[in-house]
Amino acid sequence: MVLRDKILWFFAGALLLVTLLFLGIKPNEEVDFATDVKPILNKHCISCHGGVKKNGGFSVLFESQALGLTESGKPAIIPGSARKSELIQRLHHTDPELRMPYQKTPLSVDEIKILTDWIDQGAKWGTHWAYLPVEKIELPKVTTVFEEKNFIINSIDHFIAARMADKKLLPNFPAPKNIIARRLAFDITGLPPDPDLFQSFVGNKITYENYVDSLFTSTAYGEKWASWWLDLARYADTMGFEKDPGRTIWHYRDWVIKALNRDLPYDQFTIEQLAGDLLPDPSVDQLIATAFHRNTMNNDEGGTDDEEYRVAAVIDRVNTTFDVWQSTTMSCVQCHSHPYDPFRHKEYYNVMAFFNNTRDEDISDESPNVIDYKPEERQKINNVLDWVSTHADARQEDLFKGFILFEEPNYAAHHFEVIDNAFVSGPNFGLRKGGATMIKNVNTMGQPKLYLKFVGRSNRSKLVFRKNGINGEIIGEFKISKNHKNRQGQLITSIDISKETEVFDLYVQLQTQDNTLEKEHVLVRWIAFMPELPGKGKPGYVKMDKNLSEVLNIKGDLTPVMVENPEHMKRKTHVFDRGNWMVKKEEVKPGVPLTLNPWKERWEHNRLGFAQWLVDDKNPLTARTLVNRVWYQIFGKGLVSTLEDMGTMADPPSHPALLDWLSYEFMHSMNWSVKKLIKTLLMSATYRQSSTVSQEKLAVDANNLFYARGPRLRLTAEEIRDQALHVSGLLSDKMYGPGVMPPQPDGIWEHVYLGNLWKTSEGDDRYRRGIYTYLKRTSPYPSMITFDAGSREVCLVRRSPTNTPLQALVTMNDPVYLEAAMQLAIAHEDQESKAAIIEMYQKATLRKVDEDKLKYLLGLYEEAKSTFENNPEQLEDFFGLGQFTEVKTASLAIIANAIMNLDEFLTHG
Amino acid sequence: MDKIKKLLAEQRSLKAQFNSRRHFLKDCTLGLGGLALGSFLNSCSSGSSKIPAYTTDRSLNPMAAMPAPYLPKVKSVIYLHMVGAPSQLELFDYKPELAKLHNQPCPPSLLDSKKFAFIQGTPNMLGPQATFKREGETGNWVSNHLPHFKKVIDEVAFLKAVHTDQFNHGPAQMLMHTGSPRNGRPSIGSWVTYGLGSENNNLPGFVVLTSGGTPDAGKSVWGSGFLPSVYQGVQCRSKGDPVLYLKDPKGVSRNLKKKVLTSINNINFKEYQKFGDPEVLTRINQYEMAYRMQVSVPKVMDIDKEPDSIKEMYGVSPGKEAFANNCLLARKMVEQGVRFVQLYDWGWDSHGASPSGALDTGFVKKCKETDRPIAALILDLKQRGLLDETLIVWGGEFGRTPMWENRLGIQNSPGRDHQGDAFTMWMAGGGIKKGAVHGKTDEIGYTGIEGRVSVHDIQATILHLLGFDHEQFTYEFQGRPFRLTDVEGHVINEILA
Repeated sequence: MVLRDKILWFFAGALLLVTLLFLGIKPNEEVDFATDVKPILNKHCISCHGGVKKNGGFSVLFESQALGLTESGKPAIIPGSARKSELIQRLHHTDPELRMPYQKTPLSVDEIKILTDWIDQGAKWGTHWAYLPVEKIELPKVTTVFEEKNFIINSIDHFIAARMADKKLLPNFPAPKNIIARRLAFDITGLPPDPDLFQSFVGNKITYENYVDSLFTSTAYGEKWASWWLDLARYADTMGFEKDPGRTIWHYRDWVIKALNRDLPYDQFTIEQLAGDLLPDPSVDQLIATAFHRNTMNNDEGGTDDEEYRVAAVIDRVNTTFDVWQSTTMSCVQCHSHPYDPFRHKEYYNVMAFFNNTRDEDISDESPNVIDYKPEERQKINNVLDWVSTHADARQEDLFKGFILFEEPNYAAHHFEVIDNAFVSGPNFGLRKGGATMIKNVNTMGQPKLYLKFVGRSNRSKLVFRKNGINGEIIGEFKISKNHKNRQGQLITSIDISKETEVFDLYVQLQTQDNTLEKEHVLVRWIAFMPELPGKGKPGYVKMDKNLSEVLNIKGDLTPVMVENPEHMKRKTHVFDRGNWMVKKEEVKPGVPLTLNPWKERWEHNRLGFAQWLVDDKNPLTARTLVNRVWYQIFGKGLVSTLEDMGTMADPPSHPALLDWLSYEFMHSMNWSVKKLIKTLLMSATYRQSSTVSQEKLAVDANNLFYARGPRLRLTAEEIRDQALHVSGLLSDKMYGPGVMPPQPDGIWEHVYLGNLWKTSEGDDRYRRGIYTYLKRTSPYPSMITFDAGSREVCLVRRSPTNTPLQALVTMNDPVYLEAAMQLAIAHEDQESKAAIIEMYQKATLRKVDEDKLKYLLGLYEEAKSTFENNPEQLEDFFGLGQFTEVKTASLAIIANAIMNLDEFLTHG
Repeated sequence: MDKIKKLLAEQRSLKAQFNSRRHFLKDCTLGLGGLALGSFLNSCSSGSSKIPAYTTDRSLNPMAAMPAPYLPKVKSVIYLHMVGAPSQLELFDYKPELAKLHNQPCPPSLLDSKKFAFIQGTPNMLGPQATFKREGETGNWVSNHLPHFKKVIDEVAFLKAVHTDQFNHGPAQMLMHTGSPRNGRPSIGSWVTYGLGSENNNLPGFVVLTSGGTPDAGKSVWGSGFLPSVYQGVQCRSKGDPVLYLKDPKGVSRNLKKKVLTSINNINFKEYQKFGDPEVLTRINQYEMAYRMQVSVPKVMDIDKEPDSIKEMYGVSPGKEAFANNCLLARKMVEQGVRFVQLYDWGWDSHGASPSGALDTGFVKKCKETDRPIAALILDLKQRGLLDETLIVWGGEFGRTPMWENRLGIQNSPGRDHQGDAFTMWMAGGGIKKGAVHGKTDEIGYTGIEGRVSVHDIQATILHLLGFDHEQFTYEFQGRPFRLTDVEGHVINEILA
């Protein structure tokens, strides 16, 4: 090489170096797929080369697809050589038809550099942080300034301080004791604290931790946190859709309250709700827990296709399960592979296969249900089951148990087709004279008994059951008796039939000598096939057989529950083409997404196994999701701000190490205890800070991402109502039971053909906590909805708090709040007015009133007083309470009403 | 890069300040004078604005008006929904061939693989229960049941082959108004007020008026779904408080109420000074708006003060719940800047199983109740120059069968079952091609054979006229973007001017 060339090369090299320095890019730094590359692919590439579209046969969703052959026959990425990789070439292309992203802004120099380095370094695929198992985390070191400020109280503060230091922020001072006491009481119990407890804490008689622990022992804790869970569980007192009729599922709401109060560990809490019915010898409580997934809507509008809505409910269960436990938008995968997260279309249906085999079929009676048995009834059932277990094997016992508790498995009326002079309507089919229906592919399993649930309207008719045709062989006959006039009088009874070992079409024919009855002679809800009660001929058999018949006909409060299909009724699950349930593709087996934790052999391939997989400590999302959402409840935002989604499009965590530390400890040292988790948050100095904010801090951190001040959240719909009732002394502490109907304006429930009316509750039930308010999905309690409670039609991960004029109208004018204001005034009417105002303010806000605020309140009091003195007629029916009110009381009630509209009353400080 | 971001941020905050100022200036004249939030912030006086830069129009007032992303053709929508699904075969879709088949058994080919709500076995066909004429300059068909409507027929564009995949009331109404047959999605009025806010801060942005009863799907048809609850439809009622909890409590005069509000806002402002939380400012603003709403809503709901000529034109019956009253109210509301007015009129489910649901009795009565007010609404908006900036949409949730319904195997009075394959809707107002007819059904009005449009197409078109691209108008929920039209919908250009 001649000198001139050397010089040229030298200059060229120097130029390159200068250019690189100028661009500020360090060459060859190790590129990380998950944090550096994936966000670029998601932002620029994946909408055309992902789970939905794979233009040019190229997708960057999965490693195999990204590195595989494209339509051109070549791979687009050649690991180790960015120069040869079509992907990189296309980013630089000058022809706009070829340059990617197509017809969009080109990638920045930095972005291209990252992709280039990544490919040059071997195009190593990586896993998104949220799909990696949760590992134990060491606490970060803290600078002394935080220690000096006494900010390091527990482990959380280490993580928060470290991030604050990065941002050169310093924490606020701790909130004053009265403020933090109120904040804690609302966060734990959803109510203001008990006055004695409050005084003990403020008067330094008990420690902060004592105070927190005392609040946790209150059953109000379960009532408060149940609201949060019931939003996720889409719990409501009606079925949704059209007439939106009522359903009895409040036993589930009570189960949630009790489970939270006894701090049922979250893994067990999960298993019981998803698969309590599949646990060995489940208790009634564990069955009721499974109503979690019976909160799906049920459509009983005339003419709707039950199978369509059954499928819709199953789909909702899959989506809800992933929304609640996995922060994963599984609903995307229903129609196609996930657009940007590594979940395949087929995997949706693998998961669906776990949920697709329960007995419920969108029937309007919500079957299968479990009855809330009285103890003596339960005893009688146990006697029958003991008899069965003495005289037969465990399989038979299971069969009888399922049949007695759930009336399952049965063939429901809606599977029957009309042959002649019959109808299928609602949960029944009816047969008029000479009428007939049929059902295809019945499998009696060779059982000798045919059971049916029916209402008889004639004593001179019989049902003839035939095989494979309207004139087919008779397998049994049933003489109808007039058992009841109304449809509620359903009776379960049995007849003997011939033993059938093959699957056949069953015809049901009505024969009668009663020609006068034009209407149906019988309504049938279902038929079922069962063995005889075992032990025939043994002493006591006849009585036990009678007992069996009696326990089958026990009536009581019903709760819809999950019951698994028996083997011979198992449904096959297919992939739905583009999510359309009418177009079925290949059959799939139960399975979980490959991206997440592996399946363990010891788990059964059913819902129980699925639930165990979900709470396995290797599942990367369950603990992170729960921790993030509990954090949101306390701090008003998530550590991952996209509370619904931790996938690759989610916002990165603000404090990733803290999220993982809490998640790991939650599973291990806290043993899935939700109370311990909440307590850990509440014990931190981070939580205890004052919520005042300076303009400087607002400028640096408007959204309090770095927690350099305490949370100041608006109370929830339930809390605002409960607080008003509490400070006025009206709140009832009665727990549990059916939903109650506190006063609401006339004409809210005005459904045209529904006799269901809002019957205002009396006595204590007018003043129950908000959690017990009857929730009609198509017409929720108005003041609740105004304060952002949901209508619970689908899973709601968070309520979006709003601030609207309609809210002001509620707290100013709703009779519930007027009554509360009046009660508060009455409690203080004997005091001198200034003292009364000071005390009312103090009682409502747990603060001493500032001088200037007091000035406004006193001014208002004087205005009100002189108004009423000059216009006494205004006091005749004051606040619409139907009685005369004294000037002073009325004036105090005006003050009380104003206090209940103050920001310090509506927020938690 | 950072510099650009910074500039953008600055520009945004300037704009926010400008908008906030503008709103305060507008509101101060109407508001509570001395206690108005504006006065705390000196924006009504000549002093410089002290609104902190991080507050935006929307954070102070979630209903603040926002410009549409594209040039809009209309400012407001009046949507007339005939609940129960009116029969297209007795109103607009003239089928002489069907008359020839009257009371003949339905050919099996029409029943194959079809699902019906109530028809069982083989029903008979039912000829049109009306006479038809071409009307107006366009000569479009209309039946004898609509003698008033025929006078405004040239203002209207017809969609003769709308289809839906739902044939039960609840799900079909949900689909029509929320884009999904299942509950849980925001209604179109919620989407629109979320996107555009309201021109009038003293009235709700999305008003619902019902006559005859609530739709089958309940209040979910005007629910806000996953959008913040502030965007749900506010039902303005003819009985009781027009808006829930609007009326001051007994014994509390307007004057005293004003003092209560002044005190609340004064104390809340002290709280703001202490804690610095911008949400407190928003609360102060909301209390002012509540106060103004208490005056404005009863005023707009009062039709008694309208001139007699107008009352007569609509055929109103003051003090009652009536569709005619609601049409007049709808005009008053859009006149005052309400964004979306949704009317529901119940009683169009003409199965023939009872007189009220028969095509020769109840249906005729429903036509009478609605014909005159609808014509009046169009004319009244027109004479006020409002028709060009308002969109009127008329329709049901599906159509009716050309077959005579035979519920439980029995043929009653003339009635038709539910049918989603083809039905008629119409639109009128700004951006609409007057007198257009798009779509055509077969000889018996059973299936669309030309110009079929879906429910999502209707929604895409309404959004288009308001200045939205329905594919870009999304909201993040449960971790993914949702839109009104799901993954469907095309703007129906054939009926656009």
